[in-house]
Amino acid sequence: MKTSEKLIILAGAAKYDASCSSSGSNRNSDGDGTGNAAESGICHSWSADGRCISLLKILMSNDCLFDCRYCLSRRSNSQERATFTSEEIASLTINFYLRNYIEGLFLSSAVYASPDKTMADMIEVCRLLRHKHAFNGYIHLKIIPGAAADLVQQAGFLADRLSVNIEFPSEASLKRLAPQKSKMSILAPMKQIGDNFTGFQLERKKSRNSPVFCPGGQSTQMIIGASGESDFQILNLTESLYNKMSLKRVYYSAYIAVNEGLYLPALTTAPPLLREHRLYQADWLLRFYKFQAHEILSPAFPNLDDRLDPKAAWALRNFDLFPIDINRASYEELLRIPGVGILSARRIIKTRRVAAIREQDLKKIGLVLKRAKYFITINGKYPARSSLSHHQLVDAMCRAESPAARKLLQNSRQLRLF
Amino acid sequence: MDTTIYLHDGSFEGLLHAVAAAVKSKEGVKGIYAENGYSRQIFDRHIRIQTDGQQALRLFDYLKKLKGSAARYALNGYLSDDRDVGIHLYWLVRECLARGPQATELYTHDSIRYLDKLSQKVGKEAHRLTGLIRFRILEDGLQYAPFESDCNVISYCARHFRKRLKNRQWILHDIRRNYALYWDCSSLQEIAIEDDFTKHVRQYGELPDARISHDEQLYQALWKSFHAAIDNKDRKNIELQRRLMPRRYWKYLSEMRD
Ligand code: SF4
Repeated sequence: MKTSEKLIILAGAAKYDASCSSSGSNRNSDGDGTGNAAESGICHSWSADGRCISLLKILMSNDCLFDCRYCLSRRSNSQERATFTSEEIASLTINFYLRNYIEGLFLSSAVYASPDKTMADMIEVCRLLRHKHAFNGYIHLKIIPGAAADLVQQAGFLADRLSVNIEFPSEASLKRLAPQKSKMSILAPMKQIGDNFTGFQLERKKSRNSPVFCPGGQSTQMIIGASGESDFQILNLTESLYNKMSLKRVYYSAYIAVNEGLYLPALTTAPPLLREHRLYQADWLLRFYKFQAHEILSPAFPNLDDRLDPKAAWALRNFDLFPIDINRASYEELLRIPGVGILSARRIIKTRRVAAIREQDLKKIGLVLKRAKYFITINGKYPARSSLSHHQLVDAMCRAESPAARKLLQNSRQLRLF
Repeated sequence: MDTTIYLHDGSFEGLLHAVAAAVKSKEGVKGIYAENGYSRQIFDRHIRIQTDGQQALRLFDYLKKLKGSAARYALNGYLSDDRDVGIHLYWLVRECLARGPQATELYTHDSIRYLDKLSQKVGKEAHRLTGLIRFRILEDGLQYAPFESDCNVISYCARHFRKRLKNRQWILHDIRRNYALYWDCSSLQEIAIEDDFTKHVRQYGELPDARISHDEQLYQALWKSFHAAIDNKDRKNIELQRRLMPRRYWKYLSEMRD
């Protein structure tokens, strides 16, 4: 099979993967190698679905021995199969990279041989790139569940980022939907990577000569909507992955119904894009806004409101904490106001050092007034003028949702009718 | 009355010198412009600045000493090719003289916000182009990348690629300003590109056929099929794609060509 044919099959098979980021690693080109990994991600193109393309994201193979129920490449599907050689991927990567099509490689694979053999071939790609082609660009490698610990170790010394897909929020779902994968085969490498990541980071502080292990940290991915867990379970798991496993990112991937089968949503089910969007917003609150999972959801309210972004929903539930005085509030308090982002909160703090903020300044600072006005006071005034009932407030906040979210909402409602 | 207009030669030094001169004068200032493309109005008083590098440097040093982004505002403001940047720099300096160095962070001030926006525009386009620039690799290994940008970001891009592709020889060519930089693996220099060649590239967004190697053709085709293969039909969102990658950048992108 020609490289171009393989590329079409194996890029097509990799597209269901959510994570595209190449940021967070700053590998420098040392000596006479080619390339570096930029700290803030660079997009090289955008696909027709509006996603940033920054990496050559492909599978090594889609010829899987496993039979995960949710997956297009599973053994029991009849599919065109292809497998790259390590050299094919390495030369595609370096040639795309030199032409500035990509930031680097994101390599995943079906388990086409034993987990160890599959992993070893993927590591060989990295070795060719780093040593033969002197490539210093970005490499994100997926760990094959069940791969031996020493292979995981080698991968860490070659890649910028590693990820082990956690796949489902609970062990029961994993058993049901990915019978050949076990909780241990996922959590063991995750823990190993986490420990080594922090371990070698400490080493590097002591001595510049100690090796770099997976400098971009590790991430993981969860499939949303193929199993029955609540958003509360998902968010709690996310939080503990950040706190206990020191993950850099948790990605969510709305399940696209590609297979028929027991335990799976019907083929006609639309991918839950709105739910995915709300989960990312909640994840954002965890990572940048100092929220905790139990503030966003609780056993009594286990799912995110699909009409409202989670910060607005939180503010409406805790309306007694508002209004907040823009000229007095601390940075943390400002961040809790719907319509105030990190940038505008910083600007408020900076501007206040020079002069008090006036009502007409709020828009200039970048505050989204149509959302914020119900939650603030400024110089003794309440910019929303009259106070609304809880119902009216909810309505107003729904109307103030971003156009993108409203479009998702509209689409999800439409689909439900048919 | 705010009637004096300062004109300069359009260089960065010229702009800074003009701003410095305006700040020093006691009279009101109506505008500070590059002479090229400016048409004089009959009732205005014009002062034509003879650029003095020393004067410019003194102002630049002052801006660098201020808090925050003042120096970046000046540089990026210049690179933005924005017509009105001069007067806003003037107001920035006046504000800092009156209120102290932290006035550069006063986002509620119209001129400072204007400069901040310009600066962000330049930074954003430079960042965007570090992704959208495409090198063609010629038979002899030389890499050539034509592009067109709204702002003058070639030096930012060169700074990026001299790190990333430091062991390759390459040329960045701003087709709109017809200005090219050549990296020979150790230093960066201005280089002149043949007119016929430039004309062809400007018209077709691609090199003349004779200069495209077999490998180059192959990898352009592979990249194009990769780009098409990763489209997610369930999530098609052309509007979003256009917003993130506006059409004016497509000309030199092989994957966006039919
Ligand atoms: S192991 Fe991976 S590729 Fe194979 S069936 Fe499971 S999810 Fe699909």
